[in-house]
Amino acid sequence: MNQAEKEEYLREYGILKSEGKPFFPYAIAKDSLMAVIVIAVIIAASLVLGVQMGAKVNAATSSYDPRPDWYFLFLFEILRQLPVPDLVGLATIGIPTLCMILLFLLPFYDRSPERRPERRPVATFSAIFVMGAMLFLTINGAEAGTPYQLIFKTPSSVIKAGPAAVAKFEGGRLAIAESGCEACHTIGSNGNPGPGPELTAIGARIPAKGIAKTLVNPTYPMPSFKRLPPKKFEAIVYFLSQLK
Amino acid sequence: MPKLPAPPVPSSLKSPPPRPGESGGPASPVDQAIAARNSVVDWVDERTSLTGAVRWMMFRKVPKGTNWFYTLGSATMFAFLNQAVTGVFLAMYYRPSPAGGAYESIRYITNDVFLGAFVRGMHKWGATVMVVLIFLHMARTFFFGAYKYPRELNWVIGVALLILTMVMGFTGYLLPFDERSYWATVVGVNINGTGPLIGPYLSDFLRAGPEFGADTLSRFYAIHMMLVPGAIAALIGAHLYLVAKLGTTAPPWTKAQKNPKLRRTEA
Amino acid sequence: MSDKHSNQQSRYTGDRLIPGSFAGETVTRRKFMSGTAQTAGAIAAAGFTLPALGFAFGPVFHEVPHHWSPAGPPEMFNEDNYVPIVITLTPGVGEVGKGLVYVRKHNPKIDTDPFDKNTPYIAISARCVHLGCDVRWVSAAQRFVCPCHGGTYNVLGIRVAGPPPRPLDRFFTRVTNNLVEIGPRFSVNDELRRFSPRDPGEPLDGIGQYLYPSRPSIRI
Repeated sequence: MNQAEKEEYLREYGILKSEGKPFFPYAIAKDSLMAVIVIAVIIAASLVLGVQMGAKVNAATSSYDPRPDWYFLFLFEILRQLPVPDLVGLATIGIPTLCMILLFLLPFYDRSPERRPERRPVATFSAIFVMGAMLFLTINGAEAGTPYQLIFKTPSSVIKAGPAAVAKFEGGRLAIAESGCEACHTIGSNGNPGPGPELTAIGARIPAKGIAKTLVNPTYPMPSFKRLPPKKFEAIVYFLSQLK
Repeated sequence: MPKLPAPPVPSSLKSPPPRPGESGGPASPVDQAIAARNSVVDWVDERTSLTGAVRWMMFRKVPKGTNWFYTLGSATMFAFLNQAVTGVFLAMYYRPSPAGGAYESIRYITNDVFLGAFVRGMHKWGATVMVVLIFLHMARTFFFGAYKYPRELNWVIGVALLILTMVMGFTGYLLPFDERSYWATVVGVNINGTGPLIGPYLSDFLRAGPEFGADTLSRFYAIHMMLVPGAIAALIGAHLYLVAKLGTTAPPWTKAQKNPKLRRTEA
Repeated sequence: MSDKHSNQQSRYTGDRLIPGSFAGETVTRRKFMSGTAQTAGAIAAAGFTLPALGFAFGPVFHEVPHHWSPAGPPEMFNEDNYVPIVITLTPGVGEVGKGLVYVRKHNPKIDTDPFDKNTPYIAISARCVHLGCDVRWVSAAQRFVCPCHGGTYNVLGIRVAGPPPRPLDRFFTRVTNNLVEIGPRFSVNDELRRFSPRDPGEPLDGIGQYLYPSRPSIRI
């Protein structure tokens, strides 16, 4: 903004202000009503949702799955989706620091006098993009399971095949969750993105025999599962072959 | 009872007629209370000259077109007040001791203290509400272009307040001392540690040592309880002063009426 | 003496007509007093700020003593699979000072690196070196799997998937009085070369060991 634009703004603002109303009681009435709404929401949340007592802290457990509070879920999801060791510092420190600097300096690099959002397309779209990205990451982070559980709808073909098939499918579900497959494979909304291929529809691509062969004699870095008990092994093969 | 005629006395001996606004006879209790309040206000004002500041703050004009979006800032401040008050009262029962104390005191607050679960719930959900409101307030400021001249400095203060609010969220997380608290803190401290060169020392500073130890919890408690709230309160003061000084923005679509007396005529 | 207070003006203050200025005067009274105010104020503020900062940053420079914790008799451990052991890392703080360690006997077939030749037991810390969640040993897959951000390590604790920047940390081990004991922690790089313990998230290969220096509070 140059000097003329600054003066133009101040003049316009002065007129608008002179046409306005006093802060007390007109604006503050809205503020007070809003305060009533805010405290009502807080009290309602406290009464309805309440507080939970979690298990007492235990630093030596591998059976707890740490998850952040909802307003840090977006960061959690960024960290999960960047499985590259060299980029750890970028995801943890680099991106948040850059965002903070960009936020702090916003009025110093966006110096145009225009204030209407529809006439500032770059600013408006980048803000909407950032908000959408954060919402997307938050939802994905909230839905992210752990590598030790497998939440997946039993396919209707398995249900049709009778209770024995369903039991075998459930056994496979348990065996996969126990065997750490999701450390490297995505199955539906479970598991990590790579380095293994996605298994959500593996049954459509590879027949059961091929799956069993891969489990026994896989390509590096996948470990061989030939030492699994045969019942578990068959259950895993059955489960994966039904994913179509 | 019929009213007796007034005795014929010279006007110089008559009591003066009541002044406008005063009724004859002894003042009613309400009038006495108002008079007492006025004299107290006068007494304070004579010694502090506060009315000028109050008038400047309360009777400034807000521009035409101000709408409900403009209440988000004060709502955020109100949520902060809720956090401050409930937090002070939670501190009356909380013991920041890792070896059997912190978790037990939270359990005591939740299960045994009168209104304990309610006040703790207000603090917990108040945090969520405050984070939501501060983001909405920032979005309003951004889309209305309210960070532009002459309000750049207020935007910078606002970003500092946003970051401090997130710091409050992070440090307050540890205090209930359950599983979630502990692991979130471990991950958060290690995130700080990934900064090159100074990161490892920053982690040691946050933990008060190389591992999570006896002083980590009290350190987080002091940061959550005194350091950051003090900074937030001071910055809110500066933020509000600048809002009052520069005035709230008008919505960017509002245009001033064409007033030939006030507007420059185009040549 | 009298020369000093003559009408001759100092070249520093002559143009300002300040009373009391004299020839050769380089610091005016006003300058001196404002300097005094600022210096005294700074000294007074430093008087409480510096001790407080020292108080807060003290632990960064204070070395924490090492100690050894018992893990169990040697019969507990074998060469092929890990046994989870809970040891005390920080005494006196209860559960929060505990740590999970996976222990197995040294196996010459897989522990081929030169640094572990004389190590009787391999003790691997469960602390994921990405951001510090506790990994789980999945024996079916022969992998350590982290529940947080997808870190996965092989049987030696070397990364196979996910974001961890170095292998899992290890502990010194020894056998005394027929009891396996676990000592101080150390970090390793991809060749399993040993370094002073680092925090999670800090790489040790290439420039990493210089970008993330060892700390005075914990060294081996």
